[in-house]
Amino acid sequence: MIWNPDIECMPREQMRELQGEKLRKIVAHAYANSPFYRKRFDEHGVHPSDIRSIDDIVKLPFTIKKDLRDNYPFGLMAVPMTDIIRLHASSGTTGKPIVVGYTGRDLDNWSEAVARCLTGYGLGKNDLVQISYGYGLFTGGLGAHAGVQKIGATVIPTSSGNTQKQIQLMQDFGTTALACTPSYAMYMADEIRKAGIDIDRLKLRVGIFGAEPWTGAMRQELQNKLGIKAYDIYGLTEISGPGVGGECECQNGTHIWEDLFYPEIIDPVTLQPVEPGQKGELVFTTLDKWGMPMIRYRTRDLTSLNYEKCECGRTCVRMGKIMGRSDDMMIIRGVNVFPSQIEAILLEFPQYEPYFLIEVDRVNNTDTFDIQVEVRPECYTDQINELVRLRQKLASRIQSVVGIQPNIRIVQPNTIERSEGKAKRAIDHRKFE
Amino acid sequence: MLIRQLSVFLENRKGMFAKIARLLGDNGINMQAFTVSETEDFGIARIITPTEQTDRAMALLKANSYAVSVNQVLYIKCDNVPGSMANIMEKLAAAGISVEYMYAFSDSKSSVSRVVIRPDRLEEASTIVQEL
Repeated sequence: MIWNPDIECMPREQMRELQGEKLRKIVAHAYANSPFYRKRFDEHGVHPSDIRSIDDIVKLPFTIKKDLRDNYPFGLMAVPMTDIIRLHASSGTTGKPIVVGYTGRDLDNWSEAVARCLTGYGLGKNDLVQISYGYGLFTGGLGAHAGVQKIGATVIPTSSGNTQKQIQLMQDFGTTALACTPSYAMYMADEIRKAGIDIDRLKLRVGIFGAEPWTGAMRQELQNKLGIKAYDIYGLTEISGPGVGGECECQNGTHIWEDLFYPEIIDPVTLQPVEPGQKGELVFTTLDKWGMPMIRYRTRDLTSLNYEKCECGRTCVRMGKIMGRSDDMMIIRGVNVFPSQIEAILLEFPQYEPYFLIEVDRVNNTDTFDIQVEVRPECYTDQINELVRLRQKLASRIQSVVGIQPNIRIVQPNTIERSEGKAKRAIDHRKFE
Repeated sequence: MLIRQLSVFLENRKGMFAKIARLLGDNGINMQAFTVSETEDFGIARIITPTEQTDRAMALLKANSYAVSVNQVLYIKCDNVPGSMANIMEKLAAAGISVEYMYAFSDSKSSVSRVVIRPDRLEEASTIVQEL
């Protein structure tokens, strides 16, 4: 099912014209109404009159997270506060929170984007969607909420946490779709299993998972454990929130709603656009966000874009899985390591739990690379040799994929943090002064 | 005879054994024998409790988030004199039975030593040592 076929299946040339038109308007708006962008454009020697088509976007300067922090709280707003009807803020896991503001039109566009995602997952009026993303300053809860209402499905606004109650309501209400982070879904699946609840008796059929990167193997596991189809929903606070893109029934890439959010891929070092299809850092320009436009915002997410028409009929560009972040990538003994790689490998081993914690330090001028893992309850055997062999197999597999051998530490059950939000997967103890 | 042994997974860190010893002690469970095998980062504590306390010890450890399993092991008494252990082990070796691990305890005053053996073929090993 397709919510807005005119846009989602628009011929590519026509889409590029539409994007060009919208870019001209939003750049003119930003320049005229935001002192931040006016100053930035002037310094960069670019004027709105230089922007004639979407191809001219590369003339514009980038915006980064630091710009939002430096202009905390309202410095990037491009309308009077009287026109801002909602504020959200990021969870601030890496410093001062960032604040975003929305006009009524911005919120409409955002819910339109979420509605397209949900329809793509096969959801409609008959569905009951349990939203276990946090409600509040975080965009997850309220963002998903508005989209569910827009498609006429029923919202169950549980917010995050209180897992036992979540599971109870899921059974009592006959929840058909669950929206939360994939790590929380995994935790919930384990709790359901522990409670001895028969998955076949749940009405759950769709998972709406996002707000943190996850892998194909994790998708398989969630689909098996919960008896659902698990779909990616992509988004970030700076660009509006969840729903910037979503998968379709093909589960072969996340469609970006590019009439609203124009994506580019750049080389994070040279900052130049990469060849189509190549991996690099994702950059977004909001083409129809007026309260706080984001021009060429560097997401730090590493991925690639596929412009081929999808089998579902949509022409909107598909984004690959997030392969890491250009800023949480760790360089260990000169090798690039992404926590998502470790996650993918762990899920190849049925003996291990999907939780892990990477710890990096520097001892005698050499980087240490420790990974804490837990094995499944039935795999903590009396046989020390079995555990040693299992540990060695994992270490070898990681070495063959990542390029360096980690020190695997099997820890006691339930000692690695199960996150109800974004999971903390790596700690870097190295000091680089 | 065959008895039940608890195997507890422990990280190789300070105070880990103290914690389970305290947990069992506070709950009136006595450890009659134990051994710890360790690698650099983890170990397995193998513990024998009085038979009637084994289930409770297992439940207690599990409830405290320990990974614990119950295994059958061979429990024998042998004369506390030179050469008696050699007699037993020779018999097992002759039958082609290999031992995964074993531990013994005794003091110089008692006439018998007590030995716990984890062989690969439990029943057969049990028959063999009974014949001694």
